[in-house]
Amino acid sequence: MASNLFQSRSWGKFTRNRFAVVSLGVILAYLLVAVASFVGVITLEDTQVRVLPDRTRGFLESSDLDKRSRDAQWFVERTSLRVQRAELAPESYERLMSELALRERRVADVPLERMAELIERAESQLDDLYDALDDRDEVLDEILFIDLELRRLGDSAEDAALASEMRSEREALLARVSDVDAAAETRIAAVEATILEIHPYPGGLGGLWYGVRTFLGSDAQGRSISMKAFYSIRIAFQVGLVVAVVCVIIGTVLGAAAGFFGGWVDYFVMYLVSVLSSIPTLVLLGVLVYMFFGHPLFDNPAERPGLALVPVYCAMCLTFWVSTCRVIRGEVMKIKNLEYVQAATSIGFGRVYILFKHVIPNTAHLMFINLSLLFIGAIKSEVILSFLGLGVKGQPSWGVMISQAKDDISVMFFWEVVTASVLMFGLVLAFNILSDALQDAFDPKHVS
Amino acid sequence: MGRWACVLMAGLALVGLTPTGAVAGGSSASLGEAEASSRPTPRPMRPAGERRVVRVPIPTSGPRTLDPAVGSSTYDNRAVVQVYETLLEYSYFERPLQLEPLLLAEMPQELDGGTRYRFKLRDDVYFQDDPCFPGGQGRRLVTDDVFYSWKRLADPAYRLENWARVDGMIVGFDAYKDEQNERVNRGEPFDYEAPVEGMVKINDREFEIVLPDANRQFLFKIATFQMAIVPREAVEHYGTDRMNSHMVGTGPFRMVEWLPGTQIVFERNPTFREVYYPDVDFDAEDRRRGFHHSVGERLPIVDRVEIKFFVEATPMWLEFKAGQLDHTTVPTTGFEEAFYERRGRVLLNRDWLRREIDYQPIALADFIYRGFNMNDPLVGGYTPEKIALRRAIAMCMDLEEINRSRYNNLPVIYDGVVPPGVDGHLPAGSLQPPNRGPDFERARALLREAGYTVDQSGRVTDLPPIDMYTSRGAESEQIVEMFNRNMAQVGIRMNPRYVDFAQLSEALNDGRAPMFSLAWGMAYPDAEYNLQLFYGPNAAPRPNAFNFQNDEYDELYLKIRTMEPSEERTAVYRRMQEIVNEYCVFIGSQARVRQYLVHPWMKNFKATEDFYNYFKYLDIDMSHPRRPR
Amino acid sequence: MWAFIIRKILYNVPVYVGVLVLVFLALRVQDPVYQYLGQEAGQEQIDQLRRSMGLDRPLPVQFGIYLREVVTFNFEAQSWNQRGTEVGEILKRSIVPSLSLTVPALVLSTVIGVFISLIAAYFRGRAPDRILMIAAVLGMSISFLVYIIFGQFFFAAVPREAGLGWWPFAVQGYEPWIVFGEGGGVYPGRWVTYCMLPVMISVIVSMGYDTRFYRAVMVEETGRDYITTAVAKGATKPKIMFVHMLKNAMIPVITRVMSTLPFVVIGSILLEMYFGIPGMGREIITAIINKDFPVIQAFVAVFALIFIASVILTDVLYAVVDPRVRLS
Repeated sequence: MASNLFQSRSWGKFTRNRFAVVSLGVILAYLLVAVASFVGVITLEDTQVRVLPDRTRGFLESSDLDKRSRDAQWFVERTSLRVQRAELAPESYERLMSELALRERRVADVPLERMAELIERAESQLDDLYDALDDRDEVLDEILFIDLELRRLGDSAEDAALASEMRSEREALLARVSDVDAAAETRIAAVEATILEIHPYPGGLGGLWYGVRTFLGSDAQGRSISMKAFYSIRIAFQVGLVVAVVCVIIGTVLGAAAGFFGGWVDYFVMYLVSVLSSIPTLVLLGVLVYMFFGHPLFDNPAERPGLALVPVYCAMCLTFWVSTCRVIRGEVMKIKNLEYVQAATSIGFGRVYILFKHVIPNTAHLMFINLSLLFIGAIKSEVILSFLGLGVKGQPSWGVMISQAKDDISVMFFWEVVTASVLMFGLVLAFNILSDALQDAFDPKHVS
Repeated sequence: MGRWACVLMAGLALVGLTPTGAVAGGSSASLGEAEASSRPTPRPMRPAGERRVVRVPIPTSGPRTLDPAVGSSTYDNRAVVQVYETLLEYSYFERPLQLEPLLLAEMPQELDGGTRYRFKLRDDVYFQDDPCFPGGQGRRLVTDDVFYSWKRLADPAYRLENWARVDGMIVGFDAYKDEQNERVNRGEPFDYEAPVEGMVKINDREFEIVLPDANRQFLFKIATFQMAIVPREAVEHYGTDRMNSHMVGTGPFRMVEWLPGTQIVFERNPTFREVYYPDVDFDAEDRRRGFHHSVGERLPIVDRVEIKFFVEATPMWLEFKAGQLDHTTVPTTGFEEAFYERRGRVLLNRDWLRREIDYQPIALADFIYRGFNMNDPLVGGYTPEKIALRRAIAMCMDLEEINRSRYNNLPVIYDGVVPPGVDGHLPAGSLQPPNRGPDFERARALLREAGYTVDQSGRVTDLPPIDMYTSRGAESEQIVEMFNRNMAQVGIRMNPRYVDFAQLSEALNDGRAPMFSLAWGMAYPDAEYNLQLFYGPNAAPRPNAFNFQNDEYDELYLKIRTMEPSEERTAVYRRMQEIVNEYCVFIGSQARVRQYLVHPWMKNFKATEDFYNYFKYLDIDMSHPRRPR
Repeated sequence: MWAFIIRKILYNVPVYVGVLVLVFLALRVQDPVYQYLGQEAGQEQIDQLRRSMGLDRPLPVQFGIYLREVVTFNFEAQSWNQRGTEVGEILKRSIVPSLSLTVPALVLSTVIGVFISLIAAYFRGRAPDRILMIAAVLGMSISFLVYIIFGQFFFAAVPREAGLGWWPFAVQGYEPWIVFGEGGGVYPGRWVTYCMLPVMISVIVSMGYDTRFYRAVMVEETGRDYITTAVAKGATKPKIMFVHMLKNAMIPVITRVMSTLPFVVIGSILLEMYFGIPGMGREIITAIINKDFPVIQAFVAVFALIFIASVILTDVLYAVVDPRVRLS
């Protein structure tokens, strides 16, 4: 049935739609990442281990002085702790250092004495940095104090002399700001240089891979945002494909049967459809997820990440086949009265045979359109369910990412939310364009 | 400026004249006079334009019930104590915590070596006006109200939720409970009139309570909010169920609106008795915060209290920053914004200092630990091998790392079971050998000692995975992941079981969980409360989820229950914790630190999470220039 | 006409019973008491709760009780999570907050959607049309969550923190803006403070879907005979578009509005959750998360009832507009 479809005139029309072809390419690119995750290039572990300090910003956005000094402190402290321990038990030095690795980025391969030296240097540089920061705070505080005083004095004339004196003092302090800033800047640069010696960036392929891990920054637990987002593509495809395919199959078979046989079959199917569509989707999803709550089989994402998705699949599959069923039923009722079906009946083919051989294949275009629409529906619902805490558990997904990172917004850290949203936007947009194009090509009369 | 100073001085002078004994006023009055004492003159709210409103958050969906008899969480507590009062309260400004009379005219009198207490109620306590009373006017508090309220804890209509708090506390109370429950099962009504041997009424203002032993925790127990006094008329008028959402108390406020999940609003109880802001010996810190300025003001000072509930931390944080909340606790995400660390010290961000925001960190009375089930065939047992195995696991635990990456390095790490600020507390490093890591080499040695094989790569090969029960949620998943990362270093495999609290307690009750992670809060500041966790007869399904059995420990436990605070008692506390430590029954311990940030217009707020009836002391400077209108 | 309405209602009765059975069974796949129970739960307490909910009785009896509650619309069972509060009471108090979001959102999005679609149809195939349609697809592809999170942050949190005292929108929360009974009244200011931003977000989100649909309707109408007639009579193009066509396009618009109802409910669930508005959507999701069985059971029944009522109403409206429907 697929070959028929690809040779049809509509297919030609579809391939002439530039947008559609581009979006097909985009979808393929996403699929590639999903496959990469499936075959183990990106593992669940990649999304869980630390690759950077907490909440590091991604490429092109530099962190401010406070954040940089906090990160430097973090690097120095964790290394220093282990070096101290290694000095007590030198035989465990290598193992201790290997604990420090941030995936590909390992601690420099130097002897313990050299490492101790480096740490000592870093610590003293850190101390210098603190002094510089203290100076900076002092100047800023003085400026603030003057500002407050000036505001208090207001425009009152008798204090004009005092005010002007303060203003000139403020000017002098302002000039110092750039000095103290520069001092702090050079000192943080010095600490960072030492840290790079302790913790050099990996070269070669490892360096490239580490770059991929870090180019979008890290989340509140120092985990790679890019890895989480890429892994989420796999989850999206997993959910999208499973739900779309299962729903299309159920919907087509039931819808076609209802439309073709009519009578009590039709009545029964339409009854099911009415019942299921009488409960708002999200509420139905919630209730169905409730069914699985706390069941030991589906509730251990650490061990069985795949099974943990089953409640989500089931809930969506039970809910979403309804729309496909309606569309297919309508189409089949038209096809049923066409000449070739009448002819097949009169030759004496079995009804079930005709249904599967002649009727369902002719709804293939609708199946494709619905596959695409359901895919979008599934991804979007997954995100919303996960956000509400009813969806994906124990592994990243776009919804989980958005819900974990929504608190970061209040501290102006947008990397995680934006990454998840943009990736999701790209995929949904591609599918939306694809669905439109499919609809234009194969089912032009349909309204929305 | 000068004018203000004058007013202030005048105010202070007046205060000087006010008898500070006003709090305990009337204690010497004879009963006859007490009968004559009339209802307090109503004290209405300030006119609409001048009302002082407190707006504070609760970082969850708020209380689940407003009835003290069924309340359990700290959020229930926060709401309940604004309206209902207990016989005793903690004094607001004393640290460490100190009990003082609330509904009582004086501290209870201790008789017969601490096995009998005589109570005398204040004579000016009236219930708030409510249609449940004849004529709608609140009645005076009497002895029978106390007995009635406490008996409610034995009533199966309240599902006996808080019975454990009074179990074995008063002579004859257990028998009364059993008898009455029997009656209810037979289909007869619960009889509140039936006497309890240990509750002896002398007259309407005085009564005695007889204890089975000289239990030192008794007074703490009656200060918990579940023991607050509820009028019988209200329960009978509204029914047991309606009491969950309707309040009729004696307290400084009355509840005017409860939107579950959104907010609860209290307004000044106009017929609240005449009490004044206490004049105590304020320490320097308290003076710096200006707590002494309100001395002598009539309580409650504010007119209205709005407690808003926030399931999400971010909106709470945003609203605090926008000045819509008077104080807040700092959520994890807000930490970076509010503080910076320099040379290991956590300092309030300068921008916030400039905005005159006050920072009050308090250590909570927490006991956070990972426990072992001593009856478990794999990790339980009292033989040296089993102890070695448990200690090997403990050696993989890096509490510092958990603290740093999850809690901004704030929680206090300590030895033993008694949180900081409570007598018997042992700071980190007090107990030997330490049951805490990370020390992987030591862990390997201990594993060999326990009879397991450790291979070339330093990993144990023949230890089966251990089930670890912990609560569901992103937070605990993160912590377990960190824990697991360390365990992997020596090859110990941990099988985390994420369960709801209900399922967790079920697993503990039937001894299914070999290892479990729990946080235990203290209901009253006495080491006994946490030491009961290891008392043999308390084994599961009672609080001893470890199923720890040790004769010496049990003996000591019975001893401390009746001991006066003394150095000797502190020594026994230490000995008991040493015993538990020897067997390595748990890995720990941590106590969280709660960080309160307070806007400058909120006056008299002294952060605490041990009690919540301090709203009556709070004041708001409604015209503060930074306070948004 | 009445016969038609009755027929419709009769047809939907078994559907509704089906919904109730489905919900009833789905909630009992796992023991709800086991799912829920809280701290210090002993066997005694489990039994008590089971008894008090009637969960110890045979299933058909339980279903009978459930049916009776729904039919008499008297949900007397108590919430497990909010002790001492009857489910009916929760239902009652959450209706107004929900409606204060959904009704304005639905009305506004329909009016604006129809208007924009008319513009698009007017310029059919030309630049404005294409731009609008591309914008619609882009808008549809952005997750609802993104609108909510950024909407709240930039249109409530940022201005509030910047100290703009006059800024109308609160970050989150709710205060009753219609108060019934004594001392009651209407406070539109509160509605603006707490509900207007969510409503605006809701309108923007549904804009993409609505515009596309209405445009398709309008485009289809352009091909009809009456338009040709009108053109032949010399009516101006705007007049044809905004008078003749709009009148005739009302039927699909009504259907659309009716069929969007469940979507609006869903939309408001997220909005209610995020903005802390104590409406029906928030109540049911909180109930699901807290395993508050009586609330879930009652709320789903009510949601379904609202939905079915709207379906019947749509059919009836249809029949009023187009008498042929009644014959089928």
